Amino acid sequence: MSYVKKTDNSKHIRKLKFYMILGYALIIIIVAVFISVFSINKTDEVLKSKVSSMTSMLNVQMKLNINSYLKKMETTSTLVFSSEEVYKYDATNPDNDEYEAINTEKIISDKLFELCIMENFVDFGVVYSNNHIVGKVTNGTIKLFGDNLYSDLSAMINRNRTHDGWYTGYKNDYTRIYYVKRVNDNAVLVTSFYTTELESVFEHPGGMDDITVRLTENNNIIIYSSEDGELGKPVPDNIMNKIGNQTSAGLIDDDFLITINECGDNWYVICSVPTGIILDEKNEIQIYILAVSILISLIAIILGTFLSFRIANPVNRIVNNLDTKAHLDLLTGILNKRSFEEFTENTVKQLPETQHHALILLDVDNFKGVNDTLGHAYGDKVLAGIGKILRETFNENDFVGRLGGDEFCVFLSIPLPNQNDHIKLIESKCSQLCQTFHNNYTGDDNNYKISASIGVAVFPEHGASFSKLYECADKALYESKHKGKDTYTIFRYDMKGDNIKL
Amino acid sequence: MKLKKLLVFPIIFSVLLSGCGNELIVTSQAEQVEISLSWWGNDPRHEYTLKAVEEFEKLHPDIHVTCSYGEWSGYQARNTVRMVSDTEADVMQINYAWIQEYSPDGEQFYDISKLAEYVDLSNFSQEALNSGMQNGKLNALPIALNAMTVYINKTVYDKYGLDVPETWDDLFNSARKMNGEVFPISMTSKAAWFYIVAYAEQITGKKFMNYDGSINFDENDVSLMLDFYKKLINEKVMPQVEYFERLNMDTGEYAGCVTWLSDASSYCDNAVKNGFEIVIADYTADNEDNIGSGWYTKPATMFAVSKNTEYPKESAMLLDFLLNSDENAELQRIEKGIPISDSARKYLENNNLLVGLQYDAFLKMSEYESELSVLSPYFENSDMIDAFIEACNMVLYERSSTSDASKKFLEDCKEILL
Repeated sequence: MSYVKKTDNSKHIRKLKFYMILGYALIIIIVAVFISVFSINKTDEVLKSKVSSMTSMLNVQMKLNINSYLKKMETTSTLVFSSEEVYKYDATNPDNDEYEAINTEKIISDKLFELCIMENFVDFGVVYSNNHIVGKVTNGTIKLFGDNLYSDLSAMINRNRTHDGWYTGYKNDYTRIYYVKRVNDNAVLVTSFYTTELESVFEHPGGMDDITVRLTENNNIIIYSSEDGELGKPVPDNIMNKIGNQTSAGLIDDDFLITINECGDNWYVICSVPTGIILDEKNEIQIYILAVSILISLIAIILGTFLSFRIANPVNRIVNNLDTKAHLDLLTGILNKRSFEEFTENTVKQLPETQHHALILLDVDNFKGVNDTLGHAYGDKVLAGIGKILRETFNENDFVGRLGGDEFCVFLSIPLPNQNDHIKLIESKCSQLCQTFHNNYTGDDNNYKISASIGVAVFPEHGASFSKLYECADKALYESKHKGKDTYTIFRYDMKGDNIKL
Repeated sequence: MKLKKLLVFPIIFSVLLSGCGNELIVTSQAEQVEISLSWWGNDPRHEYTLKAVEEFEKLHPDIHVTCSYGEWSGYQARNTVRMVSDTEADVMQINYAWIQEYSPDGEQFYDISKLAEYVDLSNFSQEALNSGMQNGKLNALPIALNAMTVYINKTVYDKYGLDVPETWDDLFNSARKMNGEVFPISMTSKAAWFYIVAYAEQITGKKFMNYDGSINFDENDVSLMLDFYKKLINEKVMPQVEYFERLNMDTGEYAGCVTWLSDASSYCDNAVKNGFEIVIADYTADNEDNIGSGWYTKPATMFAVSKNTEYPKESAMLLDFLLNSDENAELQRIEKGIPISDSARKYLENNNLLVGLQYDAFLKMSEYESELSVLSPYFENSDMIDAFIEACNMVLYERSSTSDASKKFLEDCKEILL
C-alpha cells in the first residue's frame, strides 16, 4: 500500500503507544516510590515504637532489679535485730564491764559476720556514738568519715518510719553506697557496698550493648553508669534537657530514645540510646525495600512493555487496516475524494512557492456508454483498471484519487523542475497517460474505445490552494473536452469559462 | 496459551515473595561461659582484681566472670559455707591452711596438673608446686611467699631516741620510754598469735605444733604465752587485739606493727605518705642468735579451682591469667607479695616494679630463709586463734588462772584440730 500516502494515524498510534508505555512506567515508578516511602516511614515508625517499648520494658526491669537489690540489703540489715545483743548493747555505757563488753562485742561481731557472710559488703558493722565499731567497718570508711563517723552516718537516716536511709556521694566519693539504720539511741548499723556491685543489677542482654543505663540521685548526679567515667557527674545535658521534670516516661526524638523510671529512695533509672543507632537497622531495611521496589518496577516496566507490544501490534494492524480502508476508494484502490482533497489541501498549504507542483484532473470520455453497453460490472472493472494505470504512471509519493464517478485526480507532490522544464514534464506525463489509455482500451475486445480528457493546473502559478488549483484544472479539463476529448490541456489565464474566477 | 505462560512468572514471583514470611527465623545468641572468682582483701586489691577480670573478659569475650569478694574477716566462714554446700567459686583465692582443712585427701579441689594445657605450670618451681600438693594432687598454686614481718616506724623510734627494736626486751624498754603515748608495736589477733608463739618457741626451744598438726606445747608452755600477752598489754607494748586500729599506723600512734609481708602496702603506705620512715626490723628474738627462730614462712595466698567446676578449661585460663599474665602482673604488682610465677616476677623485674617496703620485707625473708620454718597448714586455724585470744583475755581480766586458761585452750585445740 506504499502507493497510498501514509497517514498520520500510524504516527499517532506509535506516539500513543510510546506515551502509554511512558505513562505506565511513570505510574509504576510513582507507585513504587509511594510504597517505598510509605514502607520506610512505617518501618521507621514501627521500629522506633518497638525499640521504645523494649527499652521501656528494660527500664522497668532495671527498676525492679535495683529495688529488689536494695530491698535485699535492707532485709539483711534488718536481720541484725534478731539478736538482742545487737540492739540492746550500748558500747558507750561507762558502766560496762570491759571483759563482758569484749565478749558481747565478739557475739555481736560473729552475728554480723554470719549475716553478711554471703554478701560482698564493704561495711557491715555497728557504729556507736563514741565512734566505737563492732563488726566490719573498713579502714577506708573510718578514714573517710574520721571523727564524724557516727554523726555523719546518723545524718544519712532520712526515713522516719523505718529510721534508715540510703546515701552515696559522701565527700564526693561515689564508689560506695551506704545504707544506715538506727540500732538504738547510741548506735547505727552501716551497710555499704561498691557501686560496681550494681553491674550485676543492671546487666542487660548483649544485643542491647548500645543502651546506656544510669542510676541517678534526685539531683541528677550519676550513682551508677554503664559508661566509664560518669560516676558522680551530672547526667549529660543533652539527656537531661529532654527529660525535664518527668519521672516516669519514654521519650524519642531524632537524637535519643530515653526512658526514665523512679525507683526507691528518689533514685532514677535512666536508659538512653542514640536514635541513630536504632535506625541503623532501618537503613538496612530501607535498602531492601528500595531494592525490591526497583526490581519490581523494572520487572513491571519490562513486562508492561512486552505485553504492550504483544497486545498493541495486532490492534495496530487492525487500526492501520481500517485506516487504510477509510482513506481509499475500494473499487480502484486509490484515495477517495475526501482523503485526496484533505491530503492535497494540507500538503499545498505547506508548500513553498518556490517549488512547482501540478494538479491533474482526469475524466474518462464516453464512460456512460461503457456502463450502458457493457454493464456496470464491466464499468467497475474499467474504473479499477484506470486506478491501476494511474498508480503505475505516477510516483508512489504523488497523491492519486478518484473524485467520483469517472473523474480522477492526481497531485504531483514531488517538486517539479524549474520554469520551462516542469511544463515539459507535465506534458510528458499527460501524453504518457493518454497513450496508456489508448494501449489498454483500444476497443478491440469489446469494440468500444475508452480515452481520457485531462486538465492541469500548476502550483503556484495557477493557485496556492487545492480549491483554486482544482478550479483551474477543471477549466482546463473543460477545454480538453471542448477540443474533442482524448487530450490534455494545461490551464491558461486566457481560457474562457463561466466558472473561472481568478 | 502464551498469555498463560506470561502469567506464570508474576505468579511464581508473588508466591516466592509471600513465601518469605513463613520462614522460621532463628536468631543466634552469643553464648557466654559464666565462671566465678572469689577472693579476700582490702580496697586496692578489690579494685585491681576487678580491673584484671575486666581485662580477662576483654581478652576472652566468650567468658563472663562473676566476682565475690570481701575483707579477710568473714571470708573463711563464707568460703566454708560455699565449700560445704558445693557452691564455691570456680576459681578461689584460698589460704595455705585450707588445703589441709578442706582437702585432706587431695580430692576436694580440682587437680590443676590436669589443666596444664591451659595453665603454664613451667612458671613454678617444683618446690612451689609442692606447697600446693595434697596427696599427690595439685590442689592449689601459690601466688607469693609470705611471712610475718616486723614493720617499725623509725621516725617515731628516733623521736624517743630509740633504736629499731630487735629483742623482746627492746620492746618493753621502748614501751617504758614511750610512756603510753604510743605503742611500740601493734597487731591483729592472728599476728599476736604468731608473735607470741615465736616468743614461746624461742624460750622453750620447742615447736608449738608439728607439721601434721599435733601439738608439742604443754600447759606450762601455753601459760608462758598467756602471761606474755598479759605482760605485753599491761606494759603497753601493744594495744589489745580487740582495740587494734590499723589507721593508727598512718598517724604514728602505733610505732610499729607485725603483719604479713604481703600486707606491707596496706599497713604502711599511708604512714610513708605521711612522712614517716618505715623500716623492716629483724624478726624479734630473745637474742641475736635466735633471729628467725619461731618464725614461719608460707605461700602468701593460693589459687584453687573448684572440684565441681563445670568449666575447668575456662577456670584454668582465668587462673593462668591471674598468676602468669603481664596484664595482671602490671595491675597486681607486689600487692600480694613477690610473685612466685617466673613470668609475673620477670615482668616486674623488667619494668623496675620490684621496689618498696614489700620488696625489702621479701629480702629480709630471704636473708633468714634458713632459720624460718615452713608453716603447718593447721597453724592458722581461725577457731584455734579465737580460742587463744579468749584464753588471753581470761588471764588478762583475771577471770581465770593462767593454768586453767592454758588447760582450757589446749582442750579447745584438741577439739578444733580433731
